[in-house]
Amino acid sequence: MENREFGAGPATPVPHRGPVPPRHHAGPVTVTGLAVKVVVLGLTVGIAVWAAFPLVDAGAWAGLTLLVAATAGLCYLYLTRRYVPAKYLVPGTLFLLAFQVLPVLYTVATAFTNFGDGHRGSKQEAIVAIQTASVTQVPGSTEYALAVATTGDPATGPLVFLLTDPATGTVSVGDAGGLRQLAAEDVTVDAGGRVTAARGYTLLTIGQAGARSEEITNLAVPTAGGAIRSAGLSRAYEGKAQRTYDAGCDCIRDAESGKVWTADADLGAFVAADGERLAQGWKVGVGFQNLTRVVTDPNISGPFLRTLIWNLCFAVASAGGTFALGLLCALALHSPRVRGRTIYRVLLILPYAMPSFAMLLVWRDMFNTDFGLLNNLLGMHVDWFGNAWSARAAVLLVQLWLGFPYMFLVATGALQAIPAQLTEAASVDGASRWQSFRRITLPLLLVALSPLLIASFAYNFNNFNAIYLTTEGAPFPADNPSVGATDLLITYTYRLAFGGQGAQYGFAAAISIFIFTLVAIIAAVTFRRTRQQEEVYS
Amino acid sequence: MTAVAPPRDRTDRGGPSAGPRRAHRSWVSEVGWRHLVGLLAVAFSLFPILFVVSAAVNPLGTLSSTGLVPSGGISGENFANLFARTAFGRWFLNSVLVAGLASAASVFLSALAAYAFSRMRFLGRRIGLLSLLLIQMFPQFLAIVAIFLIFSTVTDLWPEIGFNTPFGLILVYLGGALGANTWLMKGFFDTLPREIDESATMDGASHAQVFFRIMLPLVTPILAVTALLSFITTINEFLVASVFLTDTEAKTLAVGMYGLIDGERNNNFGIFAAGTLLTAVPTVLLFQFLQRYIVSGLAAGAVKG
Amino acid sequence: MRIRSAGVAAAVALALAAAGCGGGEEPNTTESPRAAGGKLVIWADDKRTAALKPFAEKFGQANGVTVEVQAVANDVLQTTFVTASQQGSGPDIVVGAHDWIGNLVQNGAIDPVQLSATQKNAFHPTALKAVTFSGQTYGVPYAMENLALIRNTQLAPEAPRTIEELVATGKRLKADKKVSEVLCLQVGQNGDAYHIYPLYSSAGGTLFGTTPEGDYDPKNLGVGTPESIAAFRKIAALGEKGEGVLKRSITAENSISLFTGKKCAFLVSGPWAISDVKKAGLAYDVTPVPGFAGAGPARPFVGVQAFYVAAKGQNKAVAQEFAANYVSTPELAVALYQADPRPPALTAALDQLMGTDPDLAKFLDAGKDGAVLPAIPAMAAVWDPFGKAEAAIIGGADPAATLTSAGKTIAGQIK
Repeated sequence: MENREFGAGPATPVPHRGPVPPRHHAGPVTVTGLAVKVVVLGLTVGIAVWAAFPLVDAGAWAGLTLLVAATAGLCYLYLTRRYVPAKYLVPGTLFLLAFQVLPVLYTVATAFTNFGDGHRGSKQEAIVAIQTASVTQVPGSTEYALAVATTGDPATGPLVFLLTDPATGTVSVGDAGGLRQLAAEDVTVDAGGRVTAARGYTLLTIGQAGARSEEITNLAVPTAGGAIRSAGLSRAYEGKAQRTYDAGCDCIRDAESGKVWTADADLGAFVAADGERLAQGWKVGVGFQNLTRVVTDPNISGPFLRTLIWNLCFAVASAGGTFALGLLCALALHSPRVRGRTIYRVLLILPYAMPSFAMLLVWRDMFNTDFGLLNNLLGMHVDWFGNAWSARAAVLLVQLWLGFPYMFLVATGALQAIPAQLTEAASVDGASRWQSFRRITLPLLLVALSPLLIASFAYNFNNFNAIYLTTEGAPFPADNPSVGATDLLITYTYRLAFGGQGAQYGFAAAISIFIFTLVAIIAAVTFRRTRQQEEVYS
Repeated sequence: MTAVAPPRDRTDRGGPSAGPRRAHRSWVSEVGWRHLVGLLAVAFSLFPILFVVSAAVNPLGTLSSTGLVPSGGISGENFANLFARTAFGRWFLNSVLVAGLASAASVFLSALAAYAFSRMRFLGRRIGLLSLLLIQMFPQFLAIVAIFLIFSTVTDLWPEIGFNTPFGLILVYLGGALGANTWLMKGFFDTLPREIDESATMDGASHAQVFFRIMLPLVTPILAVTALLSFITTINEFLVASVFLTDTEAKTLAVGMYGLIDGERNNNFGIFAAGTLLTAVPTVLLFQFLQRYIVSGLAAGAVKG
Repeated sequence: MRIRSAGVAAAVALALAAAGCGGGEEPNTTESPRAAGGKLVIWADDKRTAALKPFAEKFGQANGVTVEVQAVANDVLQTTFVTASQQGSGPDIVVGAHDWIGNLVQNGAIDPVQLSATQKNAFHPTALKAVTFSGQTYGVPYAMENLALIRNTQLAPEAPRTIEELVATGKRLKADKKVSEVLCLQVGQNGDAYHIYPLYSSAGGTLFGTTPEGDYDPKNLGVGTPESIAAFRKIAALGEKGEGVLKRSITAENSISLFTGKKCAFLVSGPWAISDVKKAGLAYDVTPVPGFAGAGPARPFVGVQAFYVAAKGQNKAVAQEFAANYVSTPELAVALYQADPRPPALTAALDQLMGTDPDLAKFLDAGKDGAVLPAIPAMAAVWDPFGKAEAAIIGGADPAATLTSAGKTIAGQIK
């Protein structure tokens, strides 16, 4: 029930409940505390038991072990008196591990593979895809009208194809054993020749057939020229896989031309002697190949430094600009004498409340040279995105607009937390307003907000949408379409990794490892500096 | 520790007793500039939005036929179409549900963590804080493939929290809760003098009591701010939600609305603009509701200690 | 400690109770939708989803199958489909443009569709050609689209036969202050390969050569060749430093609305623009995009929308049935046309609609010289560099240097 008190507390005019009444028997286990603990732990265990059933059904024993261990660990943690910090950190950390750390680790792992379009699955999947794609109708063969039937129960009985030859009207039954003709008096057919009833067989409805879709797709009735397969549920054709996998030579052989593509385990593809590669490849480890490519590819290393410098400027200017404007607005409205503060505040957070992708598109249109609102209102004819510096100024302006409400909100909250007594004391001492802001308000604000400034810097360093939905990196030099003046490292690598012939996730992951390392170092160095500020208070 | 009356802003003093001319000058220097800054900032923040408003009420709403003044007269046609031709109402409810639950849970989780990081000293604390910051910097569009991998398994085992469910999406969002908000809150916990909780501990309060009964009420403004920020981020999140929700009935506003403008050039821009405006409504209402917590100046009372 | 053990006991009791509640739902929950028989999931973009729904439901009711049509935003549909398919959580059928085929095939994401000769003959030959890749039919086409010249007949009663005529008429109208732009052809800041291609091809440029079988050959790149440079010299003459006909400020967002706002008399766009034009109440006509005088005809890209059967779908037999035998009915084609007025790929549906909508025949006519949009994966590497080269040249850059480097960039991206 502590939660209720916490909820009700702030609503009262003088919400501070005063100190907790001193307890003579200072036992930390209270009845409410225990009750909450029991309910929450009970629910946790309950959820775990609920989650366990499907795991047992699926035979996922590793998953079950993990679940049991995690649940037991949680119970132990909250029943023991030790590990106090862990009690506060574990709940969030669990989610963090599952949905942030795990994906990041997975992504890092893909950097060492050729994972990407054409190389997504396993070798087996590639072989299946190649064979399926090569199934063609045997020339001159018959197109049958098909009915799927069974000799037993529609849900479980063995499946057969009832096939009508449209030319002769003869009906045959086919299964994995081959094709046998049925006597004409045993079957009834409709106008299209399709079997509607057959003695000894139960016809499957489409719904029933849908439930056994995989069996039907896999059913092939062997014939001299190939095999009869279903094309949907009402037609069948005699087809033959032109390309088949031969485990002996670990290769794909084309029946018609006799051409052979041999598996190359380094490339994850079947390659012919003349160098031709089959499009359907598979995922293989490539070691450090992606990472070395990042360093050695002149397309990447060439414009890297220039892009990095602009990227740093962009991140610093975005974070700094929004902070400055947000703080100014917060300070301006931090006075009960300003009438209509509520209205001001609502209007100021509006840019942040609108979906940002929509507003980025709107802004892009406002910068149009001939028809944009900005040029029209100002009576100018500036080619905003056509010129490196105006394009940079434009994206920064958009960032300022999108981001200042965030800083405004945070600074508003921070200003409330600064004891008014401190600034009052300063003004009694004769300090001017500017002095008291510089000496007292700003340092205190920075304690609370400097980590946020780092976070904002880091966010903007990788702010993909800010560029991708506005300039898309423009302007580009005429002789180099791969890197533009407003490109950030992230948009630039996105273009490299996904702009080419299909997405190259492995390569993209390798580049992002580099970028990540870079930002991490910058942030870590800056972070060390916050230690001094923090220590003031601890 | 004594309870103190709510603080009064320093600008409260000085006015009435001074002469009229001084009062006027002091109004300009004390209040006038504030209005000036406020008005300029409001103008800056509103003019792109006016553009959207004008597109929303313009029956010929395409992106560029709209200036600040609607050219084709004013009509509610776009709003009517929004509800008639799309599942907008449903998207709206989904969004409010997802964003509401996710932000509430996320604020709670990160408040817990921020308390530990601010008030306790333990092994791996600095590393933990730094890691929280760094993990946010990994580009998210790459993580999509991994999220797919995880949730394909989850959907097989527990369809109730898999793809196309609000709860699965909320789980993913909670993964980002610590990274985004812990830093924000820790900064504020740091500004509260340690004597407050130390004296409470001396009085025999457990760490949980200190947290729930003393610390949380003191940081209400920042809880409210965090909740609002988290709500806005969640309601506007598109990247994860777009691959997560394919069922029309399960979509959130960001995903549903994006479907309106993509592909078919910009034919739907008028409807889209109308939707964009309505999307801001829950945020604005929430902000209105939270404003009194944000600006109530609660924290100041406790400081003298 | 007594209080603590009481707590443990209570927690266990609660846990059992909670699990009991969960357990009660078990029979419903274990029956995951994917395990259930006879469910067909279709992914399409938002607009088509709405049109497909009634038909899909009808198919479902007639056959005892649950059919779900789900909308995924168009520009993430392809990647989401490939990723989801790979993980086994994709749909059974996906609806999309035919130029996806190359990428879908290399990822093993779709299966060929076996159509009978009769079924194949029911489709417009271009549509069938578009969905044929490496000799296999990979999708069931339902609509075609290509660019045409849409003209405001009040401002320009005569259809121009050449670009030069068009420019002359446009300039005259501009001098008379009737319009502010000669031609609305979207370029945008970073170019638009699709919309410039008719002019580029008329002037003699190509993107890829063709193999002896008539497929596009990724090894034979046409960008950066002397022909392509010559073609872009003609385009440059129309650019911002030349006639001022082509402008980067005319974008995907504003080109149609400039036309409907009577800022220009000529618009190069596709069937998707028609509903806006009608809504604006303009008198208009649709004719082929003219070529340069004395040069070849303009060959707009012809794109085809099609249904594909997912290779890793849960219900492939029904999906094949739906795609091969149900999609190819004229009723569905007509309904899809009504949701989004593009010429149907089924000849029967086309004939049925031709009487009520004369624009369909005109668009088809505009596409008769068209080139099927390349479906090879290498095409993905062309769009961006080619578009940027176009924008740069229209902005005044030197065609030779720009195209040479664009060609190099594209070649570097093709495996």
